[in-house]
Amino acid sequence: MTGESSSQKQVFNGLRVLDLSRWIPGEFAAKMFADFGADVIKVEKPGEGSLTRHAGPFPGDQPDPERSALFLNLNTNKRSIEVDLSTDEGRSQILALAASSDVVIESFRPGVMEGFGLGWDDLKKVNPKLVFTRISNFGQTGPNAHWEATALTIQAAGGPMRATGAAGRRPHQKPGNLPLYVIGRTAAEATLGALFQVRRRGVGVQIDVSSQEVLLFSGDRRAAYLQNASYSGVNAPRGLRAPHRGLLLPTGPYACKGGFVMLYIAAHFMPRMIELLGNAELIEFYADSDYVDSHPQELWELFHAVLNPWLESHTKEEIMAIAQKANLSITAITSVQDMLKEPHYRDRGVFSSIEHAKAGSLEYPGRPFILTRGGWALTSPAPLRGEHTTSILSEVNP
Amino acid sequence: MNSSDEIRADSALKRRDDLPLSGIRVLDLTLVWSGPGATVLLGDLGAEIIKVECTTRATRGVGIVTSKQAAQRGYFAAAFPDSTPEPRAFNRTAVMNGWHGRNKLSVTLPPLESAYGRELFLRLVAISDVVIENNSARVLPKLGLDYDDLRSVNPRIVVVRMAALGLSGPMTHFIGYGPNFNALVGIADMDGYDGEDPITAGENYHMDESSPAGAAFATMAALWERETSGEGQAVEFPQAEHLMHEIGEFIIDAQVNDRSPKALGNSHATMLQNVFPVAETASDDRWIAVSIRTSAEWDALQALVGGEFTPRSFDDVCGAMGGDPVIKELDAWFASQPIDQLVETLQGLRIPAAETLSELQVLADPHLQARGWFRRKYHPETGEHLYLGHPWTADSFDLAHSRPLPAMGEDNEYVYKELLGFSDDEYQAGEAAGFIGVELT
Repeated sequence: MTGESSSQKQVFNGLRVLDLSRWIPGEFAAKMFADFGADVIKVEKPGEGSLTRHAGPFPGDQPDPERSALFLNLNTNKRSIEVDLSTDEGRSQILALAASSDVVIESFRPGVMEGFGLGWDDLKKVNPKLVFTRISNFGQTGPNAHWEATALTIQAAGGPMRATGAAGRRPHQKPGNLPLYVIGRTAAEATLGALFQVRRRGVGVQIDVSSQEVLLFSGDRRAAYLQNASYSGVNAPRGLRAPHRGLLLPTGPYACKGGFVMLYIAAHFMPRMIELLGNAELIEFYADSDYVDSHPQELWELFHAVLNPWLESHTKEEIMAIAQKANLSITAITSVQDMLKEPHYRDRGVFSSIEHAKAGSLEYPGRPFILTRGGWALTSPAPLRGEHTTSILSEVNP
Repeated sequence: MNSSDEIRADSALKRRDDLPLSGIRVLDLTLVWSGPGATVLLGDLGAEIIKVECTTRATRGVGIVTSKQAAQRGYFAAAFPDSTPEPRAFNRTAVMNGWHGRNKLSVTLPPLESAYGRELFLRLVAISDVVIENNSARVLPKLGLDYDDLRSVNPRIVVVRMAALGLSGPMTHFIGYGPNFNALVGIADMDGYDGEDPITAGENYHMDESSPAGAAFATMAALWERETSGEGQAVEFPQAEHLMHEIGEFIIDAQVNDRSPKALGNSHATMLQNVFPVAETASDDRWIAVSIRTSAEWDALQALVGGEFTPRSFDDVCGAMGGDPVIKELDAWFASQPIDQLVETLQGLRIPAAETLSELQVLADPHLQARGWFRRKYHPETGEHLYLGHPWTADSFDLAHSRPLPAMGEDNEYVYKELLGFSDDEYQAGEAAGFIGVELT
């Protein structure tokens, strides 16, 4: 460990992480250490830099590698050095940096690091106590290890995609880049687990993070669906709301006056929901539990004949306020812009601002969780490409 | 294939002293998805996870369920081995025990609302390292088990609280499930088919996917800090706020471009991609996901499709949505192709392609078999089945994968006699009183 001091302010002060990744999972894994105090050195390809610099979104949709929102989000609190991994000089620089690092994170295709002469055998020779975290599409081994993938295709192979979407329509993916962040988050969890092993037993660890396997083990129902299939030989259906609950329950997004609300009326909420709607016919129907059990479809139709007009006569904010007062799990479907104004998040200081030389002063998502001691801080914005090349090299070769 | 005896031996609960978190004891008060999803990761790393349960409360989402009731609820029945909940549904549920139960222990305590339940819990806290819970913010204080109460019996305790909207602020006490909180952080608003309203979105429980690794990381961060300070701490893990990092690019975009993301379905602004029907779609609901990232890949696909296809430049097709002519033409071509060779053909052209694998396909997948991902395990409450593998692997140690799940109260003897020092007589008295037990009453 490098330079640990007794006046530790953040939990990972004293740790050094070498971030060789160029895409969301690896960069996010490294960010989780950077945001909690690790010295994270982002290694970028000379003249080009990380792929996330080129992915945007950009201000005015004009590509600018220093103003990519994706790069800015993923690389807070990191330093940047330009190194050409394919040259002897670059290889020597990486080995020198790895010698003084606790973690190396990479997400090249399997075999690429070995091709650079920077495989696990090379790295552990210079640092036997290293954690070497390798993120790939399908893992480092197995017949599909060489397969190409994107967020879409890895969700098809790993995620609950076949059960996502409407019945009779194509399966659809999750929005944004969410699964890629989860893969990175899991790589960070793996890395921290391995750091405990190094701390306790003094032996380095190579980690194989298969994006497919991360998504197969996901709490977004795929893991449960797989266990169901193992137990009963049944695939999860597409187009049902909350199929694992197996009841006609009003869950999911609904249209209301000028917007949308999210309902999740589990069975034990139904009496309160029906009471709230206050329709005499519905109350009478629901009071006869034998009839309800034997006529679920009729209840479903009557319930919606009452629910939908009620939703359409109230805004999402009104519905959420009324429902939450009645202890019902209904929330407003909120846009990102409205989320940024939400008083709850403002009161709690969820966002943090910092000035970036090219992108200006912006608000970033702040602490993901709150430690009493050693917690999150935004101390520097994402680096310019190669901003710290000279200073980092002088640390390695003083 | 292992023999049945070997599988049974491999399915016994094992204590390991060679893992990163060996010697760490976690009292697990979490319920349903995100919390148990976090503690299973800590257990993989060698921590002893003790699920604190109660014979008078259905902590696993199911109580007494009969086969008849399960059959009436369609897919719900699949959660139980051979679609049969009996005799003890709470042990046999895949959803609330099977996928996240490995390596965990279970103890039944008297209700924590009772003085004796609280006392026994605090005695366990005194000899544990972590308490973790994902109840609403009100629950622990109401039980007299807030951080200060726990710290007073063990200053080294790490207390992780996962209330979705945190422990303060105007919406603190809002109730909801994962989708409700997805809605409050912008995710539901951008979910749905290309260019359509959010009401067309499928199931999305993203918060339950995001929190497990995040909460395990947060717990370990506090334990890492403890190695230096020697003290535990309170960790607030607001699950909804926690996942805002995953939409950070849209938070920045909202500021610089004054807009919020819209539903894009399977499309992507800088690629041509979608999920396409194949020859087996109508019969078996099989589909192929394909992404075209570059003009070279686009040329390769156009060449594969052949003559009848309208030639277009890559720039013209980037970002195409479901209703666009190019997608319709590709739908028609893909729908004529048998899927089995298609994925390999496209991968041979270095084009990202994968089938939307069904659960049964995943269970039989040759790649995962080559990696030894699923494990065959036995438990007397469920029989012999495949159980899920780990989300990652390490080369210098094997993550724990011993007993596949805990029956409720399965580890009562260990917890009461070895950890709490109960005599045989005291233990029998607890059984007679009903709080030590293996049945839900």
